[in-house]
Amino acid sequence: MTARLRHSLPWIAAWLGLAIIGAVWIARNELVNLRESFEVDARIMHRLLSQRASQHDAVLATLGLLQSQSTEAERERRLSSVYSQVIAVERHAPGTPWPNFANELDAAEKTSRTASGPALGPVVFQQGRYWMVLAATPNSYALQIDARAMVPWSEWPFLNEGRDSTVRVTLDHAGQSLTLQPGQIFAARWRFGFRKRLATDSQPFDVVVTRCVSWAELPWLWMIVWVLGTGLLLAALATLVHQRRERARAQELLRLGQVARLNTLGELAAGMAHELNQPLTAVLANTQAALRLLKESPPEIETAQTAMQRASEQARRASDVLTRLRRTVERPDARAERVRVSLNDAVRDALYLLEPQCREHRVMTEIVSDRDVEVLADPVAMEQIIHNLVTNALHAFDQIDASERRVIFTVSQTETHGELRVADNGPGIAPDALPRLFEPFFSTRSDAGGLGLGLSVCESLVTNMDGHISAQNRSPRGAEFIVTLPLATAAVRGDPSASSGVNAALTTPSVRGELVEP
Amino acid sequence: MNNAQSLSPLIHLIDDDAAVRDGLALLIGTVGLRVQTWAAPEVFMREFDRASIGAIVLDVRMPGISGLTVLDTLVREGVDQPIIMLTGHGTVEMCRRAFKSGAAEFLEKPVDDEALLEALQNAVRHHVRSRERNNADRESRDRYALLSEREREVLGLIVAGLTNKEIGRALTLSPRTVETHRANLFAKLGVESLAVLIRRYAALAEAGAT
Repeated sequence: MTARLRHSLPWIAAWLGLAIIGAVWIARNELVNLRESFEVDARIMHRLLSQRASQHDAVLATLGLLQSQSTEAERERRLSSVYSQVIAVERHAPGTPWPNFANELDAAEKTSRTASGPALGPVVFQQGRYWMVLAATPNSYALQIDARAMVPWSEWPFLNEGRDSTVRVTLDHAGQSLTLQPGQIFAARWRFGFRKRLATDSQPFDVVVTRCVSWAELPWLWMIVWVLGTGLLLAALATLVHQRRERARAQELLRLGQVARLNTLGELAAGMAHELNQPLTAVLANTQAALRLLKESPPEIETAQTAMQRASEQARRASDVLTRLRRTVERPDARAERVRVSLNDAVRDALYLLEPQCREHRVMTEIVSDRDVEVLADPVAMEQIIHNLVTNALHAFDQIDASERRVIFTVSQTETHGELRVADNGPGIAPDALPRLFEPFFSTRSDAGGLGLGLSVCESLVTNMDGHISAQNRSPRGAEFIVTLPLATAAVRGDPSASSGVNAALTTPSVRGELVEP
Repeated sequence: MNNAQSLSPLIHLIDDDAAVRDGLALLIGTVGLRVQTWAAPEVFMREFDRASIGAIVLDVRMPGISGLTVLDTLVREGVDQPIIMLTGHGTVEMCRRAFKSGAAEFLEKPVDDEALLEALQNAVRHHVRSRERNNADRESRDRYALLSEREREVLGLIVAGLTNKEIGRALTLSPRTVETHRANLFAKLGVESLAVLIRRYAALAEAGAT
């Protein structure tokens, strides 16, 4: 559990890092977008307000220029219907007072006259209105303007934000402030600001736009998708790496197993060489001495006889060595622990390990099985057997076109035995090699690397599990190896050694001298 | 010189396996060589007759001590008998090591009689010759030590090829005196002819003159 945690810790750290960096990046991106659109909207707002303000100048100028007694009152009334923001137009003949705000309007009129342009009259933002005055002759004019109505809602750039939006728009003038859009202003983490004076000199109002961005406005959905996505991706990657490592380790174990077996074999060979060499040395020395003694004239018959006697004793000793060796070799493996092994699973496991080699040789593998067959076997030995058979097939494919290379596993069963067939469509086995196939150190591969032990090891392993292995050629071409092992159901009950007696009888024809050929 | 018994070559055969010892001893005996067999290399190293003429046949694989270790020990102790190694399965590396350590021959078991006997006879011949040469050298040195200073001078000039007259002139002696010295040193060195004198003592005389 702790080892697992230690393995996944770097992955979790990497995920956290990636998730946080990605989420922050998404949020920042969103904020940048929000700010940009805010600034665009604020600039639109400013432009619209400026346009309206200049309209006021134009209206006043027109009024001043086109004044004529007859239709004047009528025209002034209609003005309000064209410009909704114009609440009232006041005409001011010289000598008469302005109806209200007389002082302020008088002052503005004076300003206007010196500037020879419209001037700002009293500003009452509490009521949302202000006046503009143009001094003209004979009459001066004042416009009473509803600042709130300057930009109709249809042209309002922040309309999509709604009334409860987080954008506040105000007009500021000399300490007074008129709220055009009452956005919510709160202690937010992010606050965008915009302030710009209207583009008309006659109405020096500041357009102030403020936008608060709340946490809720961050693109949480995308951030969560990102975090989960990277999590899934890293989990998949971690699993992949883990699997690869596992597979490499399993392959290493298998290879080690083979090396260990070979080492054992090598030691056996060395021991055997010594054990056999001693009596053989004695046999040779004695017989050659006897020959020499008999050649002498007169021949030394008696000593020669002694020598021959010793030679025959030593020959018997050599034979005893062989018997003893065979017994020690056969004994320990027969005890290998046997459990239920699914042939299908065993093939799949072995193929999983062999996948890189199969890919390298561009070989297609296929499992043909209509049911799961369970045999009584040593799983490690099973893996080794399948591994050796497949490796054998892979080497056979060298002269076969890559697109045709195929290894087919067929799992079937009889009443007592499970059967695994490993078939390839390589060149097949030469007829003269067929009977010697399972002999140790017999190899058809002329190149180095073929020890000639793979099939021999297979046979020993299968035979030790009370099974049987045979080989045949397929038509039109290819080789097929057939491994037969007792079914798990048939032998699971009772004394395994009792059943091994029966099976030994079954497999006797295939048993041959495993160490030395006569 | 040595008596007849010790001149007959003796082969020391070391192998832990009795059957191998007996068989090989019998085989070696057929060509008239005496064989002394040893089961334990430790006993052999402690007890064998180092003065004997002959050879040693040594098995590589023995319990307790490796034949190669025995070989190294013998060579280090200055044993001059040629050593023939026998092994069950010899690797090139083992063979190389044996020769490097001073083995005379490296044979694989089971060994063919021709190969073994030829190797043994070569070894014995080689050993006899080297012993004779050593003995002769020692004798010559002993006799040379008997010579007086003047006689050594005369010997050096004889070896250099000078006549009695010339020697007398060189050493400001009368030819008759030179003749006397010459007769004395011939007697002391136990040689009858000038040729033998020069062959045996030229090296010693030249070494003494320098």
